[in-house]
Parts: sequence; structure tokens; C-alpha cells
Amino acid sequence: MADSKDITLKIDDRDVTVPPGTLVIEAARRMGIEVPSFCYFPGLSLQAACRMCLVEVEKAPKLQTACTLVAMPGMIVRTNTQQVHDARKGMLEFLLANHPLDCPVCDKGGECELQDMVFTYGADKSRFAEEKRHQPEQKWSEAVYYDAPRCILCFRCVRVCDEGMDVKALGVGQRGSLSTIIPNGEDHLDCEECGMCIDICPVGALTSGTYRYKTRPWEMTYVSTVCTHCSNGCKTTLSVRNNEILRANNRDLSGFNKDFLCVKGRFGFDFTKHAERVKLPLVRRDGKLAPSSWEDALAEVSRRLAEIHKASGPDAIGFIGSNRTTNEDNYLLGRIARASIGTNNIDHHRTADYASLIAALGPQAAVASATMTQLYEADAVLLIGDDPTEQSPLVAWQIRSAIRHRNARLYIINSKSIKLLRKANGFAEVPAGGESAAVRWLAGGDAQMDSGVAERLAALKGALEKESNVVIVFGAELTGAAVQDLVKFGSSLPGQTRYIALGDYANSRGASDMGLLPGMLPGYAGVGDARARDKFGKLWGAKLPDKLGLDARGMLAAAVNGNLKALYVVGANPVKTFAVPAKDRLGKLDLLIVQDLFLTETAQLADIVLPAAAAYEKNGTMTNTAGEVQLVRKGGDVMGTRSDFDILRILSHQLAKQGLGPAISLRTPDAAFDEIRQSVAGYGVSMPTLLLGEAERTAPVSTLNGNAKFDVPVGAIFSSHDTLFTSGSLGRYCSTILSLPEAAEEVEVEARP
Amino acid sequence: MNLPPQLETKFQTLETRYPVKRSALIPMLLYAQDQFGYVGDDMIEEIARRLDLKPLQVTETMAYYSMLRRQRAGKFHVQVCTNVSCMLRGGNKLYDFVQKKLEIGHKETTEDGVFSLEEVECLGACTGAPAMQVNYDFYENLTIERTTQIFEALEIGRKPETSTPISGSVKPRHPAEVPVISRLFGVKDSHKLEVYVANDGYKGMERALKELTPEQVVDEVKKSNLRGRGGAGFPTGMKWSFVPKDSPKPKYILCNADESEPGTCKDRPLMEMMPHQLIEGIVIAGRAVNSHQGYIYIRGEYRYVLDIMDSAIAEAYKAGYLGKNILGSGYDFDLVTHTGAGAYECGEESALMESLEGKRGYPRIRPPFPAVVGLYGSPTVINNVETLSSAPEILRRGGEWYAGLGSAKNGGTRVFCISGHVNKPGIYELPMGFSLRKMIEDVAGGMLNGKKLKAVIPGGSSCPLLTADEIDINMDYDSVAKAGSMLGSGGLVVIDEDTCMVDLARRIMHFYAHESCGWCIPCREGTGWLRKMLDRFHSGAGRAEDIPMVSELAKNMLGKTFCPLGDAAAMPTISIVKKWRHEFEEHLTGKCPYKPAEVFAAVR
Repeated sequence: MADSKDITLKIDDRDVTVPPGTLVIEAARRMGIEVPSFCYFPGLSLQAACRMCLVEVEKAPKLQTACTLVAMPGMIVRTNTQQVHDARKGMLEFLLANHPLDCPVCDKGGECELQDMVFTYGADKSRFAEEKRHQPEQKWSEAVYYDAPRCILCFRCVRVCDEGMDVKALGVGQRGSLSTIIPNGEDHLDCEECGMCIDICPVGALTSGTYRYKTRPWEMTYVSTVCTHCSNGCKTTLSVRNNEILRANNRDLSGFNKDFLCVKGRFGFDFTKHAERVKLPLVRRDGKLAPSSWEDALAEVSRRLAEIHKASGPDAIGFIGSNRTTNEDNYLLGRIARASIGTNNIDHHRTADYASLIAALGPQAAVASATMTQLYEADAVLLIGDDPTEQSPLVAWQIRSAIRHRNARLYIINSKSIKLLRKANGFAEVPAGGESAAVRWLAGGDAQMDSGVAERLAALKGALEKESNVVIVFGAELTGAAVQDLVKFGSSLPGQTRYIALGDYANSRGASDMGLLPGMLPGYAGVGDARARDKFGKLWGAKLPDKLGLDARGMLAAAVNGNLKALYVVGANPVKTFAVPAKDRLGKLDLLIVQDLFLTETAQLADIVLPAAAAYEKNGTMTNTAGEVQLVRKGGDVMGTRSDFDILRILSHQLAKQGLGPAISLRTPDAAFDEIRQSVAGYGVSMPTLLLGEAERTAPVSTLNGNAKFDVPVGAIFSSHDTLFTSGSLGRYCSTILSLPEAAEEVEVEARP
Repeated sequence: MNLPPQLETKFQTLETRYPVKRSALIPMLLYAQDQFGYVGDDMIEEIARRLDLKPLQVTETMAYYSMLRRQRAGKFHVQVCTNVSCMLRGGNKLYDFVQKKLEIGHKETTEDGVFSLEEVECLGACTGAPAMQVNYDFYENLTIERTTQIFEALEIGRKPETSTPISGSVKPRHPAEVPVISRLFGVKDSHKLEVYVANDGYKGMERALKELTPEQVVDEVKKSNLRGRGGAGFPTGMKWSFVPKDSPKPKYILCNADESEPGTCKDRPLMEMMPHQLIEGIVIAGRAVNSHQGYIYIRGEYRYVLDIMDSAIAEAYKAGYLGKNILGSGYDFDLVTHTGAGAYECGEESALMESLEGKRGYPRIRPPFPAVVGLYGSPTVINNVETLSSAPEILRRGGEWYAGLGSAKNGGTRVFCISGHVNKPGIYELPMGFSLRKMIEDVAGGMLNGKKLKAVIPGGSSCPLLTADEIDINMDYDSVAKAGSMLGSGGLVVIDEDTCMVDLARRIMHFYAHESCGWCIPCREGTGWLRKMLDRFHSGAGRAEDIPMVSELAKNMLGKTFCPLGDAAAMPTISIVKKWRHEFEEHLTGKCPYKPAEVFAAVR
């Protein structure tokens, strides 16, 4: 839609209409005209340093850089003249002068912007007859290597590290033709190790420690999937050769994370080939876990579950699901618990109170949930609790980007001095654990408040009342009634206030949405809701239980006191997460089944261990913490493992043979997602969008219609406070990340009482 | 970190001097280096802490400036200039001699730590060539004998007599000279306030403050036809008029005293001998645009000049020529100096601003221009020392009077520095439009040793060169432009018949390659490539195809670089290949046919 303020200019004899302030390089790109550039990178400050984008502008005496030239009405630009071609050719000749041209062994060969540019615009012969500048390659960390002679000094890395990451670990050393990129530790990097510098490097100057000299880009296939670590849902592209994942990056700028990926997204894939990966089912014989065949193991699982079911009833069996398995996996697990076994004893490690947020928002829930993109588009952000830089790196990136690109304001309520404070316009420091009281105070409720804290909150409230369209981001510090208070306060602010609850892991939201909760069916329908029970009961071919189940802590307690006989754990490590004392060791259980990648503290106690495929090894969908669904696609494959989906599907058939519930006829995750789209409230998303690789937001609804009980028990919802370098139990198998000195520091900090 | 008391005081002053703390970075580094001989890691941490910077921000900034070092230098750091003017007068020989004498090479230190050596670029002593600096002391017109004496004195701990004021600035006046801004050169204590005031000092400022409106001040300067003396020749009055009248931000007057164009050494004596004239000019500029704060950015090598300026500023404050309510006019103006640390590029106005803000001296994207968004993002007038020094007399005697001294559209006089192969190298204030031939043959006393003239650099080493047949021109911006070159900075370098033009092109390219900031590809790579190529060519390994390629590569830089440094490197090169192509062809035989082809020793 053309705005009346839009301006029209002519590029290569064609008119183009663009909003005021548009750069000529962008206007040309909009028309499909490529104006080459190295240093120009959307979202980073302008440089005009590489001089590749020189264009002719009528009435200008010299060629102009299209990357700094603002489109003006009536401007006449030519990008395709002899003069322009000569200039590009000249620049590339200069660039190649000292370039080592070691393309045959360079990691970037085949996907190098310099190669592509020389191919398109460069000269057909080399005239440089002098000695090339040489410098040895430098190892800056296990993750980042620098090869100075290849560097074309576009300074993208320096800018993304400073402007984008707010880390400033890279600088420029020397000057003139001796200029070089330098790391902050003189000869090494001391940073967040996000590797953004590697992805953004147009040539092979910055290379990845995990990938270098491993393969050629054309030998790999590329699989775009969702990062398996935190809850933000970044798209990561896996580069795969022979079923082995060799690299993860986001150079194609797909997903709402665009160019962003943190250290875990980029380097945290090597757990898939960790030596301790369980690759065969294990069954405890004579007190020891011994390898078994899949047939035997699954037969034993179903047989023993059926025995316990028969002897002690369905509620003697419990299920703890995963924060990292797909929506389909979770949906199937819920179905097995409720339809095959007939119990509501199902839960997972809850890290954010999505249920209360959706209930508190009531009919507003869909419109008032902010997406990651809406977070970037916010005029103001209120951040309560959490430390997004460590726990939700994309959220932190979106907030920083909103501030840097759009002058958004940031307000923070926290008990700690988190890194984002550097960017904050307002900060109310509260005592540790004081977030709930602060929110209650903001909502006008009765809250005991230190006068200093009240003063700071009042200032913050005053500032927020002048803002509109605020996005409120909050961590696990707020649960139950505090979330209700928060929504009450948020609703009083001008414009449309939106919310994001920050969970811990890749599918924390999906686990909750799919009903891995003792009191709720998929889509937050209460188990006491007969209509909802009927709906899913019909779909699943069973009568669903209406009795409120045990939550995770309840199940662990029941395992100790003997009321729970069997526990089925999928992709979780409750012994560690819920700090089950060693002496209890779930000893009273008759049967502990663990479906996981590794022999975690919980799996070590198991009677049967089923080796599962990782999220990078299977298909399905995941929902990020903001309620956006994305496709998960299979990259690698580890022989001997099976996807959780397959395991559960087969198990349902085995259980059916034992007379427990109907077998699941859904053959693939895609089929299961079809059913989810039909049956789970809010999940009626558009498939074409997902298939294009984009995210689709869900439209959550609460069937509680505002009649929610907000008495979430203390300790039911809590964060693991992972850092940039940890990732729950999975993080312990990410060798590259663990090898980083910064990760060691983190572990030290963690170890302190 | 505990600092010596003097340094601590200096740091504290610097930390509060600027609206942005980081501005103190480069001076702090240099002063710390003066104290300790280098900047150590703990000092980097200390300065970072004081300025709220990350150590990386300190190290990357520091890496840009050639005077700043992280390794200890000798007690006496000897810096020998081999740039064009010095080279023509035996600078290379001198450098070779010093290397042998000290038994060390470029950037090396003697074992006992007493001496260190560095081959440096133009020191601004062109009319006293060959020259060197020992620490901050200038030694000019050096011969082997004098140099030997200097080292002997230093070795026994005696300070040799230095060459201040700059050689060639104090001498009998040539009758053709029109001393306006150099009128007190040679007068005893000319740098002192009382002497300046006794010679009509601060009268122009008084008129500007008390009798004229800011608009009238601008008009007076417009009428004078004063054009920027830094080299570009932009009309000064017009530049001042671009500053927005209403600005919510403070406005700044920035004096560019980063004189470093090879062949140019006029700002140095202007500040050394008439610092009050510059202060007066800056206040007048301030009045014209309603600014209340000025900075003088002085190249790091001119430390003694900075000290003189500082004393003059202190005198002026004391006497009420600076500060609050100047001369009872109700107008306030504050002025401070700021030291650079070795970077030619910082003479480029926007790079200078970056440098003054404590960063690497990279030029800025324009528009916006400094008049609107300059120092600290505020409207800024930036003028050269000579330009601002011209303002007092324009205001005192009127713009029309000043305009009448020069030629059409080229008002006033120009302080020319004539160096190279002439009998009387020196600094001469001559009317704009003065004949180039007369300048060489008469004013500068004709060719040295009766040799024939081969070439002239008319205004600093970035100008296209003129042949002996092209010197019948008038030295003003328009006439020199018509002749295909530039009036530039007023640094004339006269070159005789025995000089190898390939060698000259090579030396000029060495300078620009050394000084290229590295921001944009064509300048960074182009100057480096051409430097290597011209080295090879001059050493006898040239190929016929190299000759057109030299100018082709230079043309690939020309007009395509981020700032004018690329053009500055390209223009003289193109002109030398075009006008002295036969000399390149003569080199194809395998050796330089010109007399002593001196080896360029520096390893860079």
C-alpha cells in the first residue's frame, strides 16, 4: 500500500515507490536489483566501507554508496553502467590482492560471499604480483577461529558483537592495510561465545571450531528446525552429512530469530553423538541394566504396566513428561496416561505458569499473548524477574533490538543486577523473592513493602502509565495469583498490553499446552470439565478419568510412600530436577521406565531404559514460550534409538494387547499434529505457513472462563536458572559448550552454595 | 593503581574536561606513555576503569595511533623523518647514519635501553629538512656532524640545543612578503599576551563582540574572501553560515591543528609564535555562530606547541579574553587544547572528531555535515589554524581590506612553506595569487646548487605535481586548479633534475599506505598494493605492464574511497606516471638511472 508520504525514484529506468528514509540499496533490492555489498548488513550501523555498492546518481559528480544514500523523490539511479561495473571490478581486485585464495581448503568455499561476488563481478585474471600479507591463523576459543589473511575487514563481526550482542568482545587492531580483528582477551575471546561473528562473516575469516575442516558445504543437506535448548524457539539450520549433524547456524536468516542464535543454538548439537548416548534398550537383570532388543523391552514395559494396573489400579501409575519432546510426543503421552492407563497422574517440570496466564487473560488470551516479533515491535517492555540474557537469549536480543532500532523503553523489576539493566530506562530493585509482592503492589493490592522499594515501584509505575502497547515479560517468579495481579495491572495500562511468560526449555509451553498437567487436558480444559472429557474421550476411544491427578512432586512423594507403583518418565530427570534425596531413590516403585538419550540420575535407577531420539532426530512441532508453533524436522539419526513418538505409538499397541485402552492409529507426527489442530483449543493454525518454515501463533483459550483457581502450590513451578552455557541435564553432554572457559566459570558459580 | 601525583592530577583534569568522558582517552594514553615510556596492560585497565570503557576499547583505539606503543622505548626515542621534503635534503642518508650509529633499526631499542629508533612520517619541519625528533624535541637542518654532536650530548646527559622556533620561520623578510598573520614572527616574546596586545592583538575580537552582531561577523568574513587554509579552500564565511542558528545542543568551534600533510609546516610556527592570534580567531568564530566552547586538536608530535598554546590560553583567561563575559561583552567562551597521537587521517575533519571523542580516527559518513552534526553530535565549525588565525585581522581591518590583498575570490595572504631543492627554504607570507615561478626563483632564492628544476609539489604531497614548464601560474585556489593541481595546504616542495621521480612516487605512496586508516577497501588495499609495486619497480624488477597498471590502480581508488585520503594517494601518483613516464621506462633496464638511489630501509 502506497502511503501519501512515500516517494518515487527511478532505478535502472524503472520507477519504485518506497517509504521516506529508505536506503537506495534497499529500494533496489525491493525491485529485485542486486546491489552488491559486504559491509552493509540490515540492522547494523552503516559503514560505507567496502565500496561495493557504488552506483551512479544523476547530477552527482562521483559514484555514490547505495548503502548510505537515502532515496529522494525524483532521484535517478543507475546500477548497471560500465562505470559501476568497473568500480565493482576494481574493488574486488583490491580485495583479492592480499586474499590468500585458499578457497580449496577454506570452510567457506562454496558458500562464500566473496567467491560469489568475484564470480559475478570480478576480473578474469589476477594482476597482483607482489608478496601477499600473511598472518598465522588464530584460535580464539574452542568455538571461534580467526584467519586474518582471509578477512576483508567489513567489520560486520565487530558491529554485531557490540551493537547486537552488547558484548563488544571484538575490536580492530592496527590500522591501514595491517588492520585486523582483535579479540578482547588479547589472544583469546572472553565473551558469550554466541558465534554470531562466525555466521555474519561473509568470508572464511571467522570459522567455527566445531565445523572447520570437516566437510564441504555441498556435501551436506540442510535441515531447518527448532533449537532444542531454551524456550525461545529459534530456528536453527542443521548441516547434515551421512546422518551426522556437523553444524548448526542460521545463515539463511529464517524464523523470527532472523540472524540471531546463541551459543547453545549454534554449538549445542554435539550431544547427539556423545559417547554416553544410550543406543540400545536396557532392562534391569539381577540389579544391573543390560542391553535388550526393542521387542523384548517394550513387551516387558507393557506387561509390567498391565500387571500393576490390574493389581493396584490406574492411579498407581504415573507419568512425567518432557519439556523438550514435541507436541505430538506429549499429546501421545497424555493419551496413553489418560486413555490407555486411565489416570490423571501426569505432569512435567513446569517452568512458567502458562495456565494461570491464559486463565487470567480469559477471552483476551489470544490477542494479549505477544509473539517474539511483537516483542521486537513493542514501544516499551516491562521485564519482571528472570535473566533473559542467560535464560532466554532471543528474548534479550529482541529487547535490545527494539531499543536500538526502534528506541523502545525497557523497565525492569528484579532482585538481581541482570545484564539488561545496562539498557533499562527504569529499574525497581526488589528483595529476593519480592517480585510477587511488587506486582501485587502495582495492581493496587495490599502488599507489605519497604518504603524504598515502594518508591522505586511508584516511579516505574508512573513511567509505564505514560507508555502504551507495553509487552510484559515475566519469569517463573510469578505464578498463580501473582499472574492474576500482573494481568490486572497490565490491563490498566494504555493500549494493548501483551504478555510473555518465560519458561525454560524448547517445548515447555507445548508440554503445558498438550496437557501434561494433572488437572488439565490438552488446550487447558480442566479434567473436571465433562464436555472436554467427552470430546477427548471420543477421539481417543476411552472414558477419561475425572479425578485430579498427582503432580510431579506428588508422584515422587507417592513413590516413596508406596502409593505409586510405576512411574513412566519421558525426557526428564526428576531425581535431579526435584532434588529427590539419594536415600529415597524412588525405591518403593515396582517399575521405573525412563525414555531418554542418556543415563541420567533418574535413568540410572530405572528398570527399563528406552533410548530415545533427540529433537534434532525427529519430526513434529514445538511451541515456544510465546505460544508460537514451528515445525521440528529430522536432521541426524543415531542407530538404535527410536523417536518418542514411535515408542509411545508402539507402546499403545502393546498396551492394547494387554487390554489397556485402544491402540493409537496415528502413524506419523504429522498425522498427530492434524488431530491436534482439530482438537486442541488454540492450535487451529495454518499448515501452509508452518510448511514454509514460519512460525504460527496459537490462540489459547481458557475453558475456565475466568473461574480459575490461582492457588498454584508453592514450588510447583520453578525455573532451573540455566545459563548461556547450561541446558538442564542435556547441557551436560554438550561437549563443545562445556569446553568453553566461560562455561567452566558458570559451573563454578553454580557450584557455590 | 597508584599514579605519580602529576599524572594523577593530569588524569583528573582530563576526566572532567569533556562532555563525554571517553574524549580523555588519547591524551591520557599519551601522557601515561610520557611518564612510563610505554603503555602497559595495567595502565590500560586503569584508564578503562576511569573512563568506563572496556579494556578492548582502549587497546583498539590505541592500536590506531602510531605514537602510542605497548612496548618500552628507549629513554631517548629518536624519530627520523624520511618523508618527501626530508628525503630531498638527505633524510635517508641521515636515517642510515643514525641506524649505524645506534646499531639498531626501525622500532628497535638499544640494549642499554637508552636509545630507540623509528623512521617516521612528516614531522612538520619541512623547511628545516632533514629533521628528527628526540622524544618531543625537534632537531632540524641536520648534518652528519650536528647529528653526531646531538648524540654525544644526549649520551652524557646534556640536552642539545633544539630547533625552535621552526627553521625558516624566523629570517629576514623578503620584500615581496605581506606579513599579516605572521607579522610578529621573529619579534621577541611574540607568544606572550602583552606583546600580542601591543601589536593590535584582540582588537578584532573586541569589535566582533562589542560592535557587531554574529551575522555581521559572518558577513565580514564572507567579504574577505577567506578560504579554508587546510587545503580544500572552502569559503570560510559560508561554512560558518551553515551552522543552524537555533540549536538545542551546544555548538563547538574546532581548530584543526593536526598539521601533517607532507611539505607543510605553517601551523606550527603560527601557534608557536602567535598563539594569541589563534585564540582570538577562535573566539571570533565562536561569536559568529554563537558557540561557547572551542577545542584545538594539535598533532601529538607538536607537544611543545601544545604547551605554548596552553600557557597562552591560561594568560588569556587571566586577562579576560577567554571565559565568562569576555571584555565585558556578556559573551562567554571556553577553550582547551587536545593532543593527537600520530595519525595523518585525523586531519580529515570527521576523523578528527572521532579522534577527539576518543575513538579510532575513522572518517564519518556525510551527510550530515559537521556544521549540523559534528563533535558530540552537535553543530560544529571546524577550521584550520591558519584560517582561524586570519580572522582577527579581517575583523580589525575589515573584510574588504583583506580581500584586496589577494586575487579575485581568493582573499588575503597565504603562509607558504617552501622546502626541497631551493637555496632558502622557509616560511613566507605572500599575497594569494603570487607567481609560482617568482616564489621559487626569487623568494626562495632559486635552485639549490644551480641545478635545474624538474618538478614542483604545489601544496602538500597529495597534489598532482607540476613540471618545470608549468610554473608560470598564480598561486591561488582557482589558478592552480586550472593548471590541473591544487593549492592545497601551501606546502611547496621543489624538486631538482637529479631526483628520481619513481623513487618520489614510491616515497609518497609509502606515506599514504602508512597513514591509510584501513576503513575502506580501495584506500586500504590500493595504497598497500601500489607501495609494494613501486618498491619493486624502483628496485629494478619493474615490468613494462606495471607502468600503465600503476595509474590504473590509482584511478581505481580515485573518487571511490570513503574520504579524500585515497584521492590524495592517487593524484600525485597519476600525475607522476603521466608526466614522467619516461623515467619509469628508464627503470626497465634493471636499475635506477638517477643518482644515489637511496634504499628505503623501513620495514612496515
